[in-house]
Amino acid sequence: MGSRASTLLREEEIEEIKKETGFSHSQITRLYSRFTSLDKGENGTLSREDFQRIPELAINPLGDRIINAFFPEGEDQVNFRGFMRTLAHFRPIEDNEKNKNATTSEPLNSRTNKLLFAFRLYDLDRDDKISRDELLQVLRMMVGVNISDEQLGSIADRTIQEADTNGDNSISFNEFIKVLEKVDVEQKMSIRFLH
Amino acid sequence: MPTGSGWLSPAGSGRSLPGRGLLLLTVLVLLEGTVFRLGAASTPDVSGHDTKDHHKATAIGHNSTKKAFPVLDLDYGHIQTPFEISLWVLLASLMKLGFHLIPRLSGIVPESCLLIVVGLLVGGLIKIAGEKVPPVLDSRLFFLCLLPPIILDAGYFLPIRPFMENLGTILIFAVVGTLWNAFFIGGLLYAVCQIQTGNSSELNGLGLLPCLLFGSIISAVDPVAVLAVFEEIHINELLHILVFGESLLNDAVTVVLYHLFEEYSGVGTVTVMDGFLGIISFLVVALGGVLVGAIYGILAAFTSRFTSHTRVIEPLFVFVYSYIAYLSAEMFHLSGIMALIACGAVMRPYVEANISHKSHTTIKYFLKMWSSVSETLIFIFLGVATVDGPHFWNWTFVTVTVILCLVARVIGVVGLTYIINKFRIVKLTTKDQFIIAYGGLRGAIAFSLGFLLKEDHFPERNMFLTAIITVIFFTVFVQGMTIKPLVELLAVKKKQEAKRSINEEIHTQFLDHLLTGIEDICGHYGHHHWKDKLNRFNKKYVKKCLIAGERSKEPQLIAFYHKMEMKQAIQLVESGGGVKMPSAMPSTVSMQNIQPKKLPPPKTVERALPQLPKGREEEIRKILRSNLQRTRQRLHSYNRHTLVADPYEDGFDKFILKKQKIIELENKIKEMNNYLTVPAAPTDSPTMSRARLASGKETDFKPAQQQKESKICPDPQAFSVKPDSDSVPIIQVDLASPQSPDTVNVMDEFRRADQEENQGLMMRCPRGPSEPKKSEDTEGARDQQKLMRCLSDPGPSADEDEDEPFLP
Repeated sequence: MGSRASTLLREEEIEEIKKETGFSHSQITRLYSRFTSLDKGENGTLSREDFQRIPELAINPLGDRIINAFFPEGEDQVNFRGFMRTLAHFRPIEDNEKNKNATTSEPLNSRTNKLLFAFRLYDLDRDDKISRDELLQVLRMMVGVNISDEQLGSIADRTIQEADTNGDNSISFNEFIKVLEKVDVEQKMSIRFLH
Repeated sequence: MPTGSGWLSPAGSGRSLPGRGLLLLTVLVLLEGTVFRLGAASTPDVSGHDTKDHHKATAIGHNSTKKAFPVLDLDYGHIQTPFEISLWVLLASLMKLGFHLIPRLSGIVPESCLLIVVGLLVGGLIKIAGEKVPPVLDSRLFFLCLLPPIILDAGYFLPIRPFMENLGTILIFAVVGTLWNAFFIGGLLYAVCQIQTGNSSELNGLGLLPCLLFGSIISAVDPVAVLAVFEEIHINELLHILVFGESLLNDAVTVVLYHLFEEYSGVGTVTVMDGFLGIISFLVVALGGVLVGAIYGILAAFTSRFTSHTRVIEPLFVFVYSYIAYLSAEMFHLSGIMALIACGAVMRPYVEANISHKSHTTIKYFLKMWSSVSETLIFIFLGVATVDGPHFWNWTFVTVTVILCLVARVIGVVGLTYIINKFRIVKLTTKDQFIIAYGGLRGAIAFSLGFLLKEDHFPERNMFLTAIITVIFFTVFVQGMTIKPLVELLAVKKKQEAKRSINEEIHTQFLDHLLTGIEDICGHYGHHHWKDKLNRFNKKYVKKCLIAGERSKEPQLIAFYHKMEMKQAIQLVESGGGVKMPSAMPSTVSMQNIQPKKLPPPKTVERALPQLPKGREEEIRKILRSNLQRTRQRLHSYNRHTLVADPYEDGFDKFILKKQKIIELENKIKEMNNYLTVPAAPTDSPTMSRARLASGKETDFKPAQQQKESKICPDPQAFSVKPDSDSVPIIQVDLASPQSPDTVNVMDEFRRADQEENQGLMMRCPRGPSEPKKSEDTEGARDQQKLMRCLSDPGPSADEDEDEPFLP
């Protein structure tokens, strides 16, 4: 990108991002200004420390995992493209997109992809299964320190039992989708980015 | 009279339609007879007094005629008012009973229509009898007595999550929609009246302001009617909350408009300044109402923190605080409905964490009962008032009103949806819009507001009333009856009946955290951000103040899990499962395991015994304990302060069967292994003493010990219990300590035994009552509380809305 992050985003880049993620022009520019404000080192990429500097994220139980989700496998820096790619999952599904069923690749913010993003946050070792331990970790993060391991274990067992249909004692992606079929994921996992 | 009611009960068991009809007719005749009497009562009373005086006078005068001592006397005037009220309530309840017994009718016609028809019949009967119809839908009676229970019921059980998520939409419909309706109807009516100047003289004098006043009265969607109709069509949650929320929140607008136009109708003009004041007044009315309600809600929550020793009056606090909130708001001419809703919604999460399970059920039942009776009465009274009210029928006015109402509603909904959809994530489809428009029912609030108008200020009052009644009839009958087939026809999404699973709860919370994080990263302070902040504030400060004891620190997820486990435990026992372990039983965990960390389970004896599947064992324990507890509760004398049941009130045979089952189980357990440590042979084990107490010494129960030892087959009358040999655990049912079958002591012992039971994971050796656990008393009390909360009826309907924690 260049030694100093250009405050202007090139038109071609905007177009590419638009095509890939579906954001509008103004949304991309707005998010770019946010990106640059987070980028204290001014090198055009964000590192984990940049994210951790956001105060509310520090008290979020899932803060670390969310931050990790932005960084591709094994890397420590994320550029604007990657930033937008991750955020694209949270774009609201529009009506005209629902009708597109002949596209070659599903848009990033389809229901399945949203759920896949959430699934990957549980499934850290990427084996396409949420094991009991992974579930326990997440529960522990959400519930705090006052509850004993045993009790959490019971909850985890119960959860897996409810969701598990093929008896492998872990939750696969399909089981995950099935469990959440009644939850309005399109609404729950969408942020109304202002135009 | 007594003969009539005596005749009613055998007739109630019949199944034929003529039987039903005859039942209803009898009730009507009964009522008519009473009302007839009460109309005539006013005169005989006076004459009665006269004759009495006359008698007295003659007695004093003559001093010789001694009246015979009246062995039986009739004094109707003495009890007149409460008697009438009770009769009306009885009529309402019998009608409700009757309608559900007629199979096909309740499916076609909504209850509200039938009730109005009954009201019409009763009113007609009264009129035929020549008596004066009592002014039943008196506005004070309506607003102060009939309306609050319904609104409180709605507010207390308001599903907070969908309400908050759609709050913007609801507010726009309520405020802008109602304003639009009022001005559109009022304005066009005025225009029509101006056009009609030549033809009919009645409409001539109708000024703009009375028209607008009328518009504002008729434009408000009525919560009672909406509830009555929507409850039966089981529409999906989103639409239900949109229409219902709108009907609740438009009260503030209605109040302001009504007062504004009423005040200034006399003067004749409304200036811009008045309009401006009106807007400010609206904000004051709405926010003030909510504030008043919230304050009382917090007070109620705070009070409930201290009620652990007087569980009996817990429900009372909820009702009284809410009612006072309503009255306080009405006192300042703020929106009473919004105050009630705010009060109920604010106090609920905290009160539910504090009160016992029984109180929770009581509150639920009472609210449902009162609101149901109120609703029935309102519709019946509407019918009666229709027959009674001074009517002034004007074809033009009435038909124009009806048409305008429909048109205004449709235009309003379509227009507003177009604007709203720009801001919504999940858009409202055309089908949704149609249902919202069609569901805009008018009801008794409009009528009462019209009734409140004074005749001298508004000479057109009667015409207004007639038009209002016509609109109400039209919406309730036509729209109410046709909405169900329309919903089917349009294939609108129905309510999902399934309960929230623990998976959904966990993942929903997970997504909440995720979305909050993403919003923070984007720097976008959206919906999730504020919800998260509120939750944090709630957890940190508010819960500590308002929730008693340990539960203030309980995370939301754990509370949800508790509730679920409890419900399942109750279900298991209620289904008469006895010892049978259904393999379909999903949970292998027990609520007993969920305790704060600082209470380590005593681990003295279990290690010596073989391991068992934890879940199975817990299930058995749960069942046993609940069954045993139920038994125990039956045997103690009823005491208003301790809320324990009467020994003889429940069915004796059920009790015997339960006892048989328990003895069976004990037998099987004993047979299965040798580890069972039964308390050393008492002559009279508590089991037996209880059995004897209840049976009145006439059964040939053998003591459990003797039965086990002799291995005699138990009574063939008992349930055949399937011996599940590999799963019957080695547990020791630690009943109370062997001595003292004395009633008072046993209760204490049981309580302590409960504490002991609750603190362990599984088995332990029996501890005598001589070891009071002072240090863990609070824990025990809390566990006791948990168990006490466990033992109650599940409630009228499996209401999944209650499962929602604060701001889920």
